[in-house]
Amino acid sequence: MYGGGGRTWPSTTSVSSSGKRIQKEMTELSIEAPSDCAAGPKGDNLYHWVATLLGPPGTPYKGGIFFLDITFPSDYPFKPPKVVFKTRIYHCNVDPAGNVSLDILTENWSPALTISKVLFALRSMFTNPETHKPAVPGIAHLYLGDKAKHDEIATEWTLRFAR
Amino acid sequence: MLKEEAGKVEGLLSPEFRSVAAMAGWDEEALLIASLVVEDTPDRPPKHKKRSDFKTPPTNSRRKRRVQKRSPITVTVLDLEEDESTAIQESEKKEAESTSIEKLDKKGVEASKEQGCSVSFSSSSKKIESKSTEKAEKKGVEASDQQGCSVSSSSAFPSIDRLREELSCAICLEICFEPSTTPCGHSFCKKCLRSAADKCGKKCPKCRQLISNGRSCTVNTVLWNTIQLLFPKEVEARKAAGTLNNREAKHQSPVRAAATNSNITRVLALNSPESGPSSQERRNSRAMRRQSVRVFGMPSRNRDISSRRELPIQDEDAALALRLQREEFMETFRRRSSADEQYRSSLALARANLRAMASRAINRGGRGS
Repeated sequence: MYGGGGRTWPSTTSVSSSGKRIQKEMTELSIEAPSDCAAGPKGDNLYHWVATLLGPPGTPYKGGIFFLDITFPSDYPFKPPKVVFKTRIYHCNVDPAGNVSLDILTENWSPALTISKVLFALRSMFTNPETHKPAVPGIAHLYLGDKAKHDEIATEWTLRFAR
Repeated sequence: MLKEEAGKVEGLLSPEFRSVAAMAGWDEEALLIASLVVEDTPDRPPKHKKRSDFKTPPTNSRRKRRVQKRSPITVTVLDLEEDESTAIQESEKKEAESTSIEKLDKKGVEASKEQGCSVSFSSSSKKIESKSTEKAEKKGVEASDQQGCSVSSSSAFPSIDRLREELSCAICLEICFEPSTTPCGHSFCKKCLRSAADKCGKKCPKCRQLISNGRSCTVNTVLWNTIQLLFPKEVEARKAAGTLNNREAKHQSPVRAAATNSNITRVLALNSPESGPSSQERRNSRAMRRQSVRVFGMPSRNRDISSRRELPIQDEDAALALRLQREEFMETFRRRSSADEQYRSSLALARANLRAMASRAINRGGRGS
């Protein structure tokens, strides 16, 4: 659209629209922070956030503090942010590298979604694992077959890695 | 200023009104206030002033008056619609916007003034004949009407945060700029919706319903006008940012213009060093004016120039270049002609001398023969 021509500023203007949106989300999060999670830029870079999630009570993740890395693409919000668990977690939707398989973070992303909504979805993922399209089929299988065993392992992992 | 107004009292108020006022025992101050009230209605067409001279039956005029009273708003709305149809004339829109706000402000002032007037009217109306009582009632109705209008607009302000939330675009999280509404009823900035349709597929960002006409999305006029009325500052800021971006995108054209201008000045400096600085100054002031006109809004007389945007500016440059060149030619021509004159005058002198010599010779010859 901005036909480049060796100039640097068209790219900065397109980035600044995403930057503006990210900034807006940041202020909104600081005004009405959700009860059991927090998110904000890691350092100077507005496009690199760190977030913490508290394991909701009534789940095997209770009492755990889970750290996440959130990376915004330059064409955010038209492309989804990349969310990675930095804390190890025993969950069928989080692969060993920490990548989250959540539909709203991939094919069902919508530009109307915000980070606070993503965090909300992650929280509900703790309580209701999505077993139809799991990142780790073994964990999903165990969850469906032997929930007690699954919960036991998950609690152990939470105690080991998320405290 | 008061004396000026007093001078105007005679012209503004009809003799009938003044006689009624005299009967009511109005002093000059009250007349002055009345004149101010009449004066303070610049938005209304001049017809209206005439109508306030008791000439038409009050019931009829009241209805007409109500229609006219609303006319300023409808006029601005029409303005905006026009602007939208002619698309991205941001500065013009901005102006329309600001005038409409001014009008609103004026309305508020007017309402309060008229109310004050109506109080004075009703206090004195007991003495006056029925005609003027009707007038007072009429004024009272109008004042209360207008006050109601201003109150209703100000009563929206307590929940302004709620409105802001409701009228903001889910994509950019700012107040919708030129909102476009999807078939499923969700509104986003036109640009945001278009990019969403381009980059994320033709689904509504809110409810994921298919958007059939994602490309040819139109502006929801009612919503856009409402937003402009409610959040003029935000809209103006967005417009300013938009024009800034546009200017950056069209960066090359001013550069070209500047280049041509500098060429002209260089030519000027070469040809006539003494006329250079003044013309350069003129050029600079011109350019600055143009710049300021582009960045901020513009006075209404420049409207049509601005509405035709980039092209007329180039034309302006061309015209300026032509003018400067012409001036330059005139200058050099004048100098050359003055030199010519000197030459010609010396020639004439020589010729005269020759003629004198010849005549002397003839005279001598005549004498001699």
